[in-house]
Amino acid sequence: MSAGAGDVVLRVDWPECRARGLCAELLPERIVLDEWGYPVVLGPVSPALQALAREAADACPRRALHLRPA
Amino acid sequence: MIRPPDVVDVTPGPMLLSGIADGPSLAAHRVRQGPLPEADAGALLAVIAPLAVRGRGGAGFPLARKIDTVLAHRSRRPGRRPVVVVNAAEGEPASAKDSALLDVAPHLVLDGAVLAARALGAGTVHLVTSVDRPWAGAAAARAVAERDDHGIRWSRHEAQARFVSGQARAVLELLSGRSGLPVTSWVPESMSGHRGRPTLLSNAESFAHLAAAVHVGADRYASYGTPQEPGTTLLTLTEPAGPDGSFGGSSGGSGRAGVDGVPVVGVRVVEVCHGDAASQVLSAQALANPLLVGGFHGAWLSPRDVPALRWSNAHLRALGASLGAGCVITLARGQCPVEETARIVTYLAAESAGRCGPCFNGLPALADEVRGLAEGADTRRRIAELTGLVRGRGACAHPDGTARIVTSLLTTLDGEVEEHLDGRCGCRALSTVGAA
Amino acid sequence: MTAPLLWYLNRGTGIALLVVFSVTVVLGVLATGRSSTPLWPRFVTQGLHRTLAALSVLLLVGHAVTAVVDEYVDIRWWQAFVPFGGTYERWWLGLGALALDVTLLIVATSLARARIPHRVWFAVHLTTYAAWAAGVAHGIGIGTDSQRGWLAAITLGCVVAVAVAALARVVDVVRSRPRRSVAPAPSTTTLGELFPATSTQAAPRVTSGGASTRVAAPTGSRR
Repeated sequence: MSAGAGDVVLRVDWPECRARGLCAELLPERIVLDEWGYPVVLGPVSPALQALAREAADACPRRALHLRPA
Repeated sequence: MIRPPDVVDVTPGPMLLSGIADGPSLAAHRVRQGPLPEADAGALLAVIAPLAVRGRGGAGFPLARKIDTVLAHRSRRPGRRPVVVVNAAEGEPASAKDSALLDVAPHLVLDGAVLAARALGAGTVHLVTSVDRPWAGAAAARAVAERDDHGIRWSRHEAQARFVSGQARAVLELLSGRSGLPVTSWVPESMSGHRGRPTLLSNAESFAHLAAAVHVGADRYASYGTPQEPGTTLLTLTEPAGPDGSFGGSSGGSGRAGVDGVPVVGVRVVEVCHGDAASQVLSAQALANPLLVGGFHGAWLSPRDVPALRWSNAHLRALGASLGAGCVITLARGQCPVEETARIVTYLAAESAGRCGPCFNGLPALADEVRGLAEGADTRRRIAELTGLVRGRGACAHPDGTARIVTSLLTTLDGEVEEHLDGRCGCRALSTVGAA
Repeated sequence: MTAPLLWYLNRGTGIALLVVFSVTVVLGVLATGRSSTPLWPRFVTQGLHRTLAALSVLLLVGHAVTAVVDEYVDIRWWQAFVPFGGTYERWWLGLGALALDVTLLIVATSLARARIPHRVWFAVHLTTYAAWAAGVAHGIGIGTDSQRGWLAAITLGCVVAVAVAALARVVDVVRSRPRRSVAPAPSTTTLGELFPATSTQAAPRVTSGGASTRVAAPTGSRR
């Protein structure tokens, strides 16, 4: 997927991530877990999904998920 | 854990390595190059920007653009003064050019650092070498002691002997007294680096090019190389000895004496012009075998493409490779690229900093599968899966580089891989049980 | 002002706080686990933990306010925050004030979580165990009903639950520690052993001392 106008990008702070998996539970449209439990980001976040994306970032116990402008 | 070479042969070259026979002293350097010119930021950029001088740490980022970014983000406030970092940590064991430069032509590197520091208004230059190349650190210390640059404070550091220690953010962590391992970089260090200051961090060779361009002038610098890629570049050539114990290339070099005086592996640092033919420095044996260009994070080249190879990024990109940090590794006769890749990937997996899940899980799994391939199992599908899973999912490019060498084995050397799986390549891996 | 209502409210909020705070702590430990099922995803545990923590704070505020407002016992408003200098049951009250102070700090850091480094937030959050323990001790010592059997049973239940959860957390932390970055083994392999020559000789170890670069004789120009 390529970013459109108003999109934000999900970025993972890898040294902080401990594969807790809450992000994938809250934003399955854009995050799936790999075989070791770490998040795979599928693409940018459209404005419609941004509230959910913010929830997912807020839910991360390690604050390892960040939203950045595209 | 692989030690870097103890002895490196350095061959005189046209520009950076032109004066090395006269010794590394400041006096000899000044006789050869003249006094250090004064150059403000504008003058410096006017020289190096048209020459498209690129960083030599592997990423090849244009040096002029880095300097521009530091200029844009600096201010005179105490906490925002820029900083210059000369990175000679050289975590890649197959690379020796930065350490060699510090040993044979340190003042070219230091001139470059001083020129950059003065142009940026930085007061401190940090010099980083590695614990497992103590001779480079000692040479740097000697060279710094000879200098008397007004307004410049020199600060030396020693990085751990790890593959990832030379990564830019890892170096900045070291400078801050933390662990010297990579962390996530949200903005480039030229915007916010050491203690939040705009930081010009480049490796030793990049600073040498900066100084060379200013000393010899843009015209003479551009007389080497090609119009698209002016200038020269340093290569570290790692080559096993031929059957008669000699090494290739017209530049000679004799490697380390093994038991009974037969050399085993030779490591040479040479300076080539961009666009030069590889056949000028590589032996006939190297030209007939697959070649690993770019070190352990590089890419394999097929024997079809090696004889006509030129040391230019334009030429290499078309072959799926790039100069990177200039490490070139040749195989010995009878060595199999599948087996060598398995050994390299096993080493790289062990060298993960252990901080990023996809890396410290994915690389050992990838190494297992590549070793399986070396032992004759067709694990290519799983390998492709794993390389896709580790790319881009780490704080640094360690997983990406590892994925790169493995992917190049499976694509560029697909013929050799097929031969290996069919048992036709005659390498030792299939005749003995288990790999390294 | 005084009224039996205030006293009952104070005791009631105290007992409710004991239970809710204990459940919050246990949920906090459970939230660090990796397992989840489709019926009970991890964000539910986390959401419950955060909600019950907020409820605990409300109960704590109510408990402190009713204690101060009720004039039946002399507790000044500042004695709810300062853990010494009180007159009524000085040490047990002090423990309660300590628990309240630590809880306020935890709440403040959790609200500012996005702005402070994770390490700082985590260190402060660990003091929850101390706040909980101080609160439980406060309840046992100062509580009017603490001799009653049903409250003793509830208190015991909460203590056991938190103790088990804390123990499980310690075990989990200790077990997962070695997985992370390991110091590299001292280098033993040389580059030559990585690329063995056709001969079977082992690569020698050349100890470095003095110059380790050799400048080769200049050759003709190779432009």
